[in-house]
Amino acid sequence: MKNLTRMTRLEVIVPARDAPAIRELISSAGATGYTSVSGVSGIGHHGPHSGALLFNEYDTLTMLITVLPEDRAEALIDAVRELLSMSSGVMFVADTYVSRPEYFQ
Amino acid sequence: MFTPRTTARTVGILLLAAFVLYGVGNSLATTSSGIPSTVGLVMMLLNSAAVIAIGVLMLPILRPHAPAIAIGYLATRIFEGTFLAVGTIALHLHPKPHRLDSPTAPRPKHLERTARMSLLLRAQVATAAHDVVPAWPLDSFIAVNPLAGAESRPFGSSAGVSHTRPIADYLADLERGRITLDDLTTALERRVPALSRSLTIDGRPTTASHIAALDLTMRADAAAPAPRPADELDPDPVDDYLSAWLSAYLSPDPLWAMPHRDRGFYGAWRALAPGDRSLPRRVRRRIRELPAEPDLALADALAALGVSGSSTTEVLRTHLRSLPGWVGHIKWRAEKVGDVDLTSYLAVRLTLIAELGRGTSPSEATRPKPSALEETLARAERVAREIVGGDPDPDVVALIARVLAEHPPTEHPLTWQLTYEESYRRPLLAGLQVAEPPEDRPRVQLVMCIDPRSEGMRRQLERDDDVETFGFAGFFGVPIRFSRYAARGAVDALPALLAPRHHVSERPVDEAGADRSVSAGRRWDALASATRVADEATATPFALAETAGWFYRARSALRTLAPGLDGRLARLLSPGRRAPATEVTVADSFTPEERVSLAETAVRMMGLDRFAPLIVLAGHGSLSTNNLYESALDCGACGGNPGAANARAAASIFNDPLVRSSLRERGIDIPDDTHFVAAEHNTVTDELRMLDPHLIPATHAARVQEFLSQQRDAGDRLTVERASLLPGSHSRTTPAQVRRRAHDWAEVYPELGLLGNAAMIIGPREISRGCDLERRVFLHSYRADMDPDGTALETIMTAPLIVAQWINHQYYFSALNPATLGAGTKTVHNAIGTIGVLSGHGGDLRRGLPWQSVGLGSDLLHEPLRLSVIVQAPIDRIGRIISGNQVLRNLLDNEWISLTARSTSASPWLRYTAYGWDSLDHTPHTEGQQQ
Repeated sequence: MKNLTRMTRLEVIVPARDAPAIRELISSAGATGYTSVSGVSGIGHHGPHSGALLFNEYDTLTMLITVLPEDRAEALIDAVRELLSMSSGVMFVADTYVSRPEYFQ
Repeated sequence: MFTPRTTARTVGILLLAAFVLYGVGNSLATTSSGIPSTVGLVMMLLNSAAVIAIGVLMLPILRPHAPAIAIGYLATRIFEGTFLAVGTIALHLHPKPHRLDSPTAPRPKHLERTARMSLLLRAQVATAAHDVVPAWPLDSFIAVNPLAGAESRPFGSSAGVSHTRPIADYLADLERGRITLDDLTTALERRVPALSRSLTIDGRPTTASHIAALDLTMRADAAAPAPRPADELDPDPVDDYLSAWLSAYLSPDPLWAMPHRDRGFYGAWRALAPGDRSLPRRVRRRIRELPAEPDLALADALAALGVSGSSTTEVLRTHLRSLPGWVGHIKWRAEKVGDVDLTSYLAVRLTLIAELGRGTSPSEATRPKPSALEETLARAERVAREIVGGDPDPDVVALIARVLAEHPPTEHPLTWQLTYEESYRRPLLAGLQVAEPPEDRPRVQLVMCIDPRSEGMRRQLERDDDVETFGFAGFFGVPIRFSRYAARGAVDALPALLAPRHHVSERPVDEAGADRSVSAGRRWDALASATRVADEATATPFALAETAGWFYRARSALRTLAPGLDGRLARLLSPGRRAPATEVTVADSFTPEERVSLAETAVRMMGLDRFAPLIVLAGHGSLSTNNLYESALDCGACGGNPGAANARAAASIFNDPLVRSSLRERGIDIPDDTHFVAAEHNTVTDELRMLDPHLIPATHAARVQEFLSQQRDAGDRLTVERASLLPGSHSRTTPAQVRRRAHDWAEVYPELGLLGNAAMIIGPREISRGCDLERRVFLHSYRADMDPDGTALETIMTAPLIVAQWINHQYYFSALNPATLGAGTKTVHNAIGTIGVLSGHGGDLRRGLPWQSVGLGSDLLHEPLRLSVIVQAPIDRIGRIISGNQVLRNLLDNEWISLTARSTSASPWLRYTAYGWDSLDHTPHTEGQQQ
């Protein structure tokens, strides 16, 4: 991991209708960006999810990925956990390494 | 010196000039017209000079007759002119609003710490608002399930909401034969399968469901009051205060914008409220000291109210339940516009409550209830007396009590509701045909929206065997943002389930003619805009009344006494009549591959397996006058807009030779002699208008004329059919009288919209052709053999079905909760811009449909029935689709809708349950068939 900077990566998978609230939290936490993948499929706590639908983006799942410095990640993790207490969804947190840390400050 | 005659002429000219100068000047100053806004400002200042000049010129004329009045008139004119001039200058000096809190804007360093601190609070606000359903503005009204946030929980579990009618209403239905005892026992056995067991009571064989049914029909407490269209809930003063501020902030006066609006809702309120004398002086002083960030203010208010930790979310949720209409709209606006959010709203609300010293958690009074055992024994004794005809044996009472304990009174309303639905669904299923697909090539095929109103038109047209009809989502599978040629703004003509990605406009066929037409339209718009501004501005209504009052008086008389004639005249004079011939720019917005894909999807979704020489794609729209809820009558699949643009776009795609050639490679062969034309069905008048007539080839002109002639007869028959239900109509009402409602500005029932909607049939048309479905059924055509992998069915079940369910629940809950989830009576509505309406001058922003969409007087016109979905498709395919989509699992497993299906028209009907497919116990009855 030479010349790389350690950061925290959050992956949150939620129903698309709940994604705006997560996006707002990510922005409010000071993250400089995020990646959004709509129509993700898989099997989870609530059963199978078929993925992208042709004429319905509202009832699919969205995965949001963001990377931010460790000191800002904790507050965001607490906030997302609070949000997920009332709705379906999962959050994965992992260490990650980036080559250009200034992009994420 | 002027003579009186010269003075009079000059004053007259000045009056007209003032009217034009202010109206046109204001339009130029406040809109982006391409002309510098200073020209408009100069015109507005000249208006002030003209106003004062009128006073000066009138002085020598009036003074000889009444000196005091002459001086007073001059003073009034000077005041008016000065007042307008000051306003004009203020308008010029006021900076254009801009957003500070853009999510992409870099956040100042000193705010970063604040943002981190408030992150958890923002999450708590979002959690509290999780079940809040976004409310679309009135100009693009979208029917939604007001309880959509509760769809992951069983139907009937939401507190404070009526999910069913009063039991007395169901008993009345039983008495008049609308529902039967058979339906009641069927519903009981479905809800509580254990009740299907046999019993012997006092030596007589019976079933547990029969006993439970007796209990239901003998309820002593059944005489509950029927729902009433109550309009005004007792408003809370804080709610009224917030409603006024939200109105002012979200629907600003176009001339006098709210100062500090660029700071957001909380910032503007914080800056202005210290001057609000309706608040106590102490509170105003405290507001001056509030933090600039709404998050911090909300945190301070919660701390002042003693709220912390895990109770925070619940307290916030309680406050979001007040003013649910505004809260729903703020949630929509936060996502789509971004100039307000719920954190700002709650910051203002809780700050006020904390400073005014009001409580935070209104407690619900709980009534002592009799013990369940005592209650069950009392019910059992009543039933036992009925069965044995005298004093029952204690063992008999105990046996019956054990049965009744399995179906407690809390379950009774939902059992009655299921019975009510079963009594509708049973004859509907029995009426569906066992039919083979037609083979001959029809003369005309008509594709209409799945909207239940299309069913009437399709049925009437199908009286001619050579006409074949199809049902498809009204946006015809072409989701677009559409703007007219040279027009400002655009509409999102697509289901609310999708985000707009393709912007389609119009290209004129004749550029020079189009320019002339647009110029004429702009002149007309300028005149209309000047009149509107003069009518709405502070002082100009006087001048408007003096100059143009006679014309409007005559127009008002005509509109009132002869609305049909007025409508025809308006149509003749409107620039829309001279709209230039155009083509939609589909090829610029969709790639060739996308166009082919859209066409193939549409063909497979509706099972279009052969093609007539003429195929009409008819969208629908509703024309009415003085109707704030007009968009609620437009196409739900087109985002509450008329479907004409989508029909034109779809026809253009299907007529594209490139698309046809690619479709051939995919096994879909559209004959060369087939031409698609776009049309629009007006659901108030049942008239069908051909769109883009200049694109109809000469080879098909005669067919189109022949079809239009057929349609006119069908439209007349349908209008008469609809008149039988329209309030104010009778058996001798003519089609012309019904159509006049479109132009009648006093008419609160221009049409009945989707009133009565109760079911959705997904299957080939031949199974329902010939059935009178009474305009109550969403009809989506589907042919399983055209959809080998089930993709088309999955699309239908996850999009058109969801839109139909939203509409169904909107009508359902507006009918059962007119005061809280409906909008109340139209007659006292006041519009808040294009956002929504208030009842009277205050209270909450109203949600849902007005009472005139679901009821008449104090009676319901709409039968609140949950959507019965009926599908003809392979059962395993349906099951696979449900398993893969949580939205369908939620709706079906939690009983928000029901599903009955059969694989082919020869297969038996099966009922979906959370535990698998179940056969229908009852063989189809023949009585009450919907033929």
